[in-house]
Amino acid sequence: MLLPSFDYYRPQSLPEALSLLGEMGEDARPLAGGTDLLVNLKLKKLAPKVLLDLGGLEELKGNRADDGLVSLGALDTASRLASGGPEVPGLLAMGAGALGSPQVRNRATLGGNLVTARPAADICLPLLALGAKAVLAGPNGEREVALDGYFKGPGYTVKEAGEILTRVILDAPRPGVGGGYQKLGLRQAMEIALVNVAAHLELEDDGKTVALARVALGAVAPFPMLSPGAASALIGKPAQETCFSEAAEAAAAEARPIDDHRGSAAYRRDMVRTLTLRALRQALSQAQGNQEAQA
Amino acid sequence: MSKQAIILTVNGVARQALVEPNQTLTSLLRDELGLTGTKHGCGVGDCGCCTVILDGETVNSCLVLAMQAQGREVTTIEGLAKGAELHPLQQAFVDAGAIQCGFCTPGMILSAKALLDHTPQPTREEITKGLSGNLCRCTGYEKIVEAVQDAAGKMSEA
Ligand SMILES: Cc1cc2nc3c(=O)[nH]c(=O)nc-3n(C[C@H](O)[C@H](O)[C@H](O)COP(=O)(O)OP(=O)(O)OC[C@H]3O[C@@H](n4cnc5c(N)ncnc54)[C@H](O)[C@@H]3O)c2cc1C
Ligand code: FES
Ligand code: FES
Repeated sequence: MLLPSFDYYRPQSLPEALSLLGEMGEDARPLAGGTDLLVNLKLKKLAPKVLLDLGGLEELKGNRADDGLVSLGALDTASRLASGGPEVPGLLAMGAGALGSPQVRNRATLGGNLVTARPAADICLPLLALGAKAVLAGPNGEREVALDGYFKGPGYTVKEAGEILTRVILDAPRPGVGGGYQKLGLRQAMEIALVNVAAHLELEDDGKTVALARVALGAVAPFPMLSPGAASALIGKPAQETCFSEAAEAAAAEARPIDDHRGSAAYRRDMVRTLTLRALRQALSQAQGNQEAQA
Repeated sequence: MSKQAIILTVNGVARQALVEPNQTLTSLLRDELGLTGTKHGCGVGDCGCCTVILDGETVNSCLVLAMQAQGREVTTIEGLAKGAELHPLQQAFVDAGAIQCGFCTPGMILSAKALLDHTPQPTREEITKGLSGNLCRCTGYEKIVEAVQDAAGKMSEA
C-alpha cells in the first residue's frame, strides 16, 4: 500500500514547529509514531500536504517528577510507559502494555494516542482514570486541559489544529493508590478493545476506606468516558465487594454501547459490569500492596 | 518536495540513499538498498513481515518513513548470519521446520532476536507475547515457538 505524496519537515524546536503549523494550517499534520497517521494516509482517509515530524522536539521528551506531580512527554512510547519507572503510575503501564504488538508499542506515542482519541484507546483510558491534564501549546502560549472534558468524539478533541500536545501532568504514584486495567478483545494482541475499563482507587490512611475513585470506560461511548455513578458508589465507602458490585452496576448503567459487527450492545454492557468489578479488585490489591510496602 | 539524501547504518555498514518524503523504510531497504529479505505484506502494521530492528527496537518498517531513519541504525534479516554460518535463530527455524513459505520468517526471527536480546531465557508465554505482532499463515505457531526455545537454549550454552 502506497503513501500519497506530501512534503516532510522535521522542526528542531517547539516554537519552530508551532510557527510552521501556524503558516500551513490544516494542510500540515504533526507526525509522532505514525501508527495511526500513516495508516490513515495509506487508507486515503487523510491527505495532508505536509507532515511535520515531532521527533526532534526535546520539549516533548522525557519524564519529570516535581512536588507530587509528574509530567510525561508526549513522545513517550507505549513500550517505554509499559516498562514503568518511578514516574509512571502502574495503571498507565498496564494500559500501555496492552496496546497493539511489540512493534506498534515501540512507535506508538502517548501524544498520538490522546490526539487520535479512539473510544477504546489504551493510553487514554488510564490517563482519564488518573485525572491527568494535557498540556496544549499553541501560537498564544500553553494551556492545561483536564482530560475529563478534553474528548469530544472519535478522533475529535478540544485541541485546535494549530496546537501541539506537549506533555501530560498527573499525580505522582504514591502509597495507598492503585489501579486496575481490564481489556477484552477478540484476539489476545494487536487489537482495539471490544470493551476496556481502567479503575483508579485512593485509600484513606486506614487502608480500607475509599478516599477517591475514578472508573473510565472504553468502547462504550463515542470517546473514552468516566462513570460518575461508579465513583460515587465508591467514595467514602469501605473498599470491598459490596460497593464494588454497586459501582460495577452503575458503570454498566451509564455505559452507552452500540451494536456492531464485533459485539452487541447488551453483551458489551454485561462486560462493562464484569470488567469493572475485576478492575476494582485489581486496583484494591495494588493500593493495599504498596501501602504495606511503605509501612 | 524533491528527493533528499539520508545517511543511516544498515547491518553495521554506513549507507546513503536518495529518498522521497513518502517513501517507507520498507521501500528504502528493498528498492534502494536491494535488501529484499524485509517483506512487504499488509502495509498497515498488522502482519509484521516488514519487521526490522531500529536502534535496538523492532518496528513495522511499513509504518516508518525512510526519512525518519536518518542517522539511525537498522538491522535486517540480512545482518544476522556471519558469512556462511546462520544465526542460531535462523538455524533453529530450519531445524524445527518452522518455515514453510518463508514470507513471515524474516520478521519472526527479528522479533525473536529482539526478545532474546532483552530476555535470554523467555518463558513460553513471553515468546508468544514477543511474537504477537507477527502473523504466519502456513506453519502454525507451535513449531515457531519450539524453534525460539531451542535457539534460546543453544545461545545460552554458547
Ligand atoms: C496494528 C495496530 C494496532 C493498534 N492497536 C492499538 C491498541 O490496541 N490500542 C490503542 O489504543 N491503539 C492502537 N493502535 C493505534 C495507535 O497505535 C495508537 O493510537 C498510538 O498511540 C498513536 O500514536 P502515534 O505516535 O503512532 O500517533 P501518530 O500516528 O503519529 O499520530 C496520530 C494523530 O495524532 C496527531 N499527533 C500525534 N502526536 C501529536 C502531538 N504531540 N500533538 C498534536 N498532534 C499530535 C497526528 O497529527 C495524528 O493526527 C494500533 C495501531 C496499529 C497500526
Ligand atoms: S507489511 Fe508492515 S506490518 Fe504488514
Ligand atoms: S511460513 Fe508462510 S507465512 Fe509463515
